[in-house]
Amino acid sequence: MIEFKDVTKKYADDPVLDKVSFQIDKGSFVYLVGPTGSGKTTVFRLIIRDIMPTEGVITLGDWDLLSLPRSRVPHLRRRVGVVFQDLKLLIDRTVVENVMLPLEFSGMSEQEAREKAETVLSEVGLEGKLDKFPLQLSGGERQRVAIARALVFEPEIILADEPTGNLDLETSFQILDLLQTINKKGTTVFMATHNDKLISEATRVIILESGKIIEDKKPGEKSEKKRDFQDKDQLEDKGDKRQETGEKIKLETLAKK
Amino acid sequence: MISTVSKYVRRSPYQALSAALIMGLTFFAVTVFSILTILSIRFISYFETRPQLTVFFKDSATREEIRDLEKNLSDTQKTSSIKYVSKEEALAIYREQNKSDPILLDLVTADILPASIEVQATQAEHLSELAGVVRGSPLVEEVIFQKDIVDTLISWTNAARRLGIAVIAILVTVSVLVIITIIGIKITVRREEIETMRLLGATNWFIRAPFLLEGAFYGVVGSLIGGSLAIGLFYYFSPSFESFLRGVAIFPVSPIMMLELLAIEVIIASLLGIFASYLAVLRYLK
Repeated sequence: MIEFKDVTKKYADDPVLDKVSFQIDKGSFVYLVGPTGSGKTTVFRLIIRDIMPTEGVITLGDWDLLSLPRSRVPHLRRRVGVVFQDLKLLIDRTVVENVMLPLEFSGMSEQEAREKAETVLSEVGLEGKLDKFPLQLSGGERQRVAIARALVFEPEIILADEPTGNLDLETSFQILDLLQTINKKGTTVFMATHNDKLISEATRVIILESGKIIEDKKPGEKSEKKRDFQDKDQLEDKGDKRQETGEKIKLETLAKK
Repeated sequence: MISTVSKYVRRSPYQALSAALIMGLTFFAVTVFSILTILSIRFISYFETRPQLTVFFKDSATREEIRDLEKNLSDTQKTSSIKYVSKEEALAIYREQNKSDPILLDLVTADILPASIEVQATQAEHLSELAGVVRGSPLVEEVIFQKDIVDTLISWTNAARRLGIAVIAILVTVSVLVIITIIGIKITVRREEIETMRLLGATNWFIRAPFLLEGAFYGVVGSLIGGSLAIGLFYYFSPSFESFLRGVAIFPVSPIMMLELLAIEVIIASLLGIFASYLAVLRYLK
């Protein structure tokens, strides 16, 4: 499904990824684990060809992503559903409009796109929130909108970049359950996280540190590495709280208008 | 797509108004100079189709003497027609032209108006020779050489046209720059949204098209405002122009011609808007 062969990505002379190789099979659920700055997001950006590698080969199915013509990149991005770390929801569009957005690119009629978006939103449990704006939703609900938007094209693979990063543990497990349900329906899920508590022994885990894979644990195997990113998690939680406060202020300002 | 453009316009009404107004100003000037060009062409062709040489006679000249002079002119074989206008006919023409002004009518009698002949040459280059034939005659008071009038009009019209082209070129440049700036600001403001759309699989065309259509929208609205205003003012002041240029048959100007002018301007303006937006898109959406 996805294959990285000796992929290196450098910014100036600093390597963000260093000869990374792995293969992800169709229908699998794989965690990409590592501290902030380990290169997780870079892996995802390479898969959707937001950036190009400095060296190496990346394939998605039978597509060689490096030789893919620029005009085909939008098609690649429709094969891959992405839940971005910062969600990238458009705050001036309603929930249903956000989910409809990718369908508009494909030339689907507004009516059809709305029906499809409503179906996917009900699958992720947001049937009652269609006309709300993202800032009127909780963190978990916003994640669900982002997942619904990633799912709406019925992609072969979902890339979820820290989809539980802003959430408490209970909501994080709800999001994880949702992703696992999607995976059971046959969609490959590749999920980046630095939250060790979410990872079960029964799944494959690729651990990245300083741009290198330090472990590729197969399902059922015991990890030899200690994945202790707790301190960084706590720091990021504080950052998230600041972000929440900022968004609440934004919401209040909008409501006043 | 149309609803996206409408949303973009509604979100920043003052920018949209600025773009439409500068386009309006440009196409107001384009319409004014186009109307002036139409009128000047009619004005010149009016004089070109009139007798090209008018010879006014002294009061002492008799009809017989004038006939002899007409014969001299005809003998050159270079005239296509010669028309005699007596004092009485001149008065009748004068009365017709000034029928709305009784004071002017009372002041003038047939005695003070000269008799004249209107000479049409077969070719424009024969006019100088024909003028030479009559200028030496003691019967002649004045010779009005229409070619001189036409040449003067043409040189005035050309000067006005050059001025018009310069003014329009400046206004078009300013309009393009204003639209580039406004679309550029909009692209910058929506950079995050555009980036998200790209990452979700939007094609370049899908992202660019609303901005190009927005430019076309400014062009269409601006040209409708500027063109309609200029045409409206022209028709409002037409009776005054007509009275000022009495005797020169350049009016009325057909409303259909004006609608055609407006339609052409709308097409040009929308292309100009698209061109300006395209420049902005190339500059800001690499």
